[in-house]
Amino acid sequence: METLKDIIFILIYPGLFFLLSYSLFVEWVDRKVYARLQNRYGPLHTGFAGMLQPTADFIKLMFKEDIVPEKADKFMFSALPIFGLAIVATSSLFLPVWHYTAQTSFVSFSGDLIVAVYLLSLATLVLFLAGWHSTSPFATIGGVRVITMLFGYEIPFLLALLGPAILADSWRMMNIAAFYQQTPVLLLVNIIGFFVALISLQAKLERCPFDIPHAETEIVGGTFTEYSGRKLAFFKLMTSIEMVVGSGLIAVVFMGGFPGGFWIGMAHFVVKTTFIVILLAFIRALCSRIRVEQVVTFSWRYLTPIAILQILIVILVKAYIN
Amino acid sequence: MEIKIPIGPQHPALKEPISLRVTVDGEHIKDVDIRLGYNHRGLEKLAEQKNWVQNIYVMERICGICSHSHTTCYVQAVEQIQGLEVPKRGLYIRTLVAELERVHSHLLWLGVAGHETGFDTFFMYTWRDREIVMDILEIISGNRVHYAINSIGGVRRDISEEQKKLILGSLDTLIKRTEYYANIGTIEPTFVARLDGVGPLSKEQATSLCAVGPVLRASGVANDVRKDDPYAVYDELPFEVATATSGDVLGRVIVRVKELLESYKMIEYLLKNIPEGPISVRAPRKIKPGEAISRYEAPRGEDLHYVKSNGGDKPERLKVRAPTLANYPATVVMLKNMFIADIPIIFAAIDPCVCCAERTVQLIDTKRGDKVMRFSELRKMSIDFYKKMDLSKKGNLWKL
Amino acid sequence: MKLGAFLPEIFKHLFKKPNTVCYPFEKIGVPKDFRGMPVFTSSKCIGCKLCVMDCPAEALEIIRVSETEKKFKMILHNDRCIHCAQCVDSCNKDAIAMNADYELAAFDRNKLKIEYL
Repeated sequence: METLKDIIFILIYPGLFFLLSYSLFVEWVDRKVYARLQNRYGPLHTGFAGMLQPTADFIKLMFKEDIVPEKADKFMFSALPIFGLAIVATSSLFLPVWHYTAQTSFVSFSGDLIVAVYLLSLATLVLFLAGWHSTSPFATIGGVRVITMLFGYEIPFLLALLGPAILADSWRMMNIAAFYQQTPVLLLVNIIGFFVALISLQAKLERCPFDIPHAETEIVGGTFTEYSGRKLAFFKLMTSIEMVVGSGLIAVVFMGGFPGGFWIGMAHFVVKTTFIVILLAFIRALCSRIRVEQVVTFSWRYLTPIAILQILIVILVKAYIN
Repeated sequence: MEIKIPIGPQHPALKEPISLRVTVDGEHIKDVDIRLGYNHRGLEKLAEQKNWVQNIYVMERICGICSHSHTTCYVQAVEQIQGLEVPKRGLYIRTLVAELERVHSHLLWLGVAGHETGFDTFFMYTWRDREIVMDILEIISGNRVHYAINSIGGVRRDISEEQKKLILGSLDTLIKRTEYYANIGTIEPTFVARLDGVGPLSKEQATSLCAVGPVLRASGVANDVRKDDPYAVYDELPFEVATATSGDVLGRVIVRVKELLESYKMIEYLLKNIPEGPISVRAPRKIKPGEAISRYEAPRGEDLHYVKSNGGDKPERLKVRAPTLANYPATVVMLKNMFIADIPIIFAAIDPCVCCAERTVQLIDTKRGDKVMRFSELRKMSIDFYKKMDLSKKGNLWKL
Repeated sequence: MKLGAFLPEIFKHLFKKPNTVCYPFEKIGVPKDFRGMPVFTSSKCIGCKLCVMDCPAEALEIIRVSETEKKFKMILHNDRCIHCAQCVDSCNKDAIAMNADYELAAFDRNKLKIEYL
């Protein structure tokens, strides 16, 4: 029975099947909200209100011609999209969605928060390597920009996630979520950290105003310039899954997780992550792209101090409670 | 490590083919080389084979956005040669369309500036409101882009009372929206961070490099053909030349927004004070021998046409100097020592209209003499040239 | 400087009907004097060929139909027509007018050739 549950966990919910379909749904939500904010319709004709448009795009890309540049590192160039997809899909397993008990298991243990964040950073590294191994000037510049930006947003992201964890006194996501489910008032303490994490996540997902590594008008496709067909489809899917995992992570840490077993837990998951995705779409619609050195300045001058301030507040609150 | 990156001839930031070969060190631009000639259309030669009336439409197709500018410039030159006195009402309508065109061009540019800096929401909203002015132009002339309102000796279509009322009504919305965007454009921090101090061009540089239009005015030089050498009815119109002193892209945005607001004022004045009377005089099919130069302040800067007639029904020579051509030397200066990320916005800030500026110059070697080549020979030569080039060797691809 | 200066505007539009039009399904009308496709009235034509002379795109041909009668037909090459309406202006007898058609695209170039008799 336990094994069956594990298999369901990995393959169906919240594993591959749910993750793939949900990430495509989230992409639709993002596109639709973004379009409506801009006074446009957005996807409209494929499926109900264009819901199947991301799926159709994905399938179309899968059938497109797949080109590997002559000068690129052939093995790395082809392997990286699959690596990236595998990494973000794995990181989704650590979200305490349904399959967790008080005992530690292979997906829920003390420190799984750090592992999930680490896996998400690896996905960024994959993007850098993809750009670097394409060897075209645009891709190289894109890859360098990925790494430069990583120095900016990674620290505030981790610091922002650190605050709630300190308050909950645990590194295990399940325990953090359970702690805030018991005392939801304490969620308000982390409100500053929530916005820092949201902005850092936006940077991690490389979306406007942080879409610098693949800034269309500057360096064409950036890291993805040389990618086409299936490999590009994998990268696009990877970004959507990363969005689901990232927003799931924030939902766990800042919004009390997904309690209530299979169905209610799923409802919690969908509502909370969709809410975060809509917030991300708002940020995307509100800003213009900034320059890479402005990202680093911004995150070290404003984001990191604010994240540290959040931790200080958390420590003071904790002392007060105890 | 210095690398060369090719911006263009095919690049998402460029709407038309032009090649900027940028030498970069990391994110810094060290050197820029602009290469033209990807879209030469032989317009001047074509104009010599069409009659005076047909040429209006040829001139109109030099540029889609400033289509009225080029026709007016051409028509003014022809009228000057023939000595035609255009009726006042005709000139008023001509000026009205010119100002509406400026509005649509500047709103378009604001959107493009938003898009080039990744501010797509701004782009969508400005272009949505640009539709209002496009609709006005469609009502007046029957077409959204190529208005074809000019004829030699006046304009082709009159404007009715209903249309006047309709335009004045839409104008209120436009004014409100433009003021809102001017506000957004100057207080949205991410947008300002991308524009402020980017692409500097000092007053001295701007004048010595012969920049024109909003680029020149943003550097603090109040140069405007409408004021300096008034044509049509600009000497009767109350307006001020918009300038900014910062000399960067933000200044160019401000100049264009100010010009928008000035244009609204002018349109209102034109509609309220338009005199009654005929709209055009009849022009002969053959124009007297003579030559003329006509200047016109297009939305992008000073447009210049030279027309020479030998008394026939076709021009003997027609020379077009589009405003974009005058701004290229300044672009190179503006781009130097900036970041890669600034290339699109700096280049877009001159409001480039690449195809309009494409002219060829034939250089003749005086020792060897002129050489005439057939197109097939030229094609064969280019194929051989690329076959001989060893593409596997580094640096061969971008050798010039 | 104000972070998120656009927020009130975009938030307002989230619940409004989009300004864009689902084009092939709904269409915006054209104004009264729209320059669509030229249409020809054979009975008014006197065969002066001023329109042919002034057409910048050489899209028109006026051909005499019969030897005895003064009757003309016009061949319009819609693939070349630039919709400038100069033919309408040049015609002294109002034999040519513009209609409001703007969906003129076709898969075959030959289908764009129209004969008015």
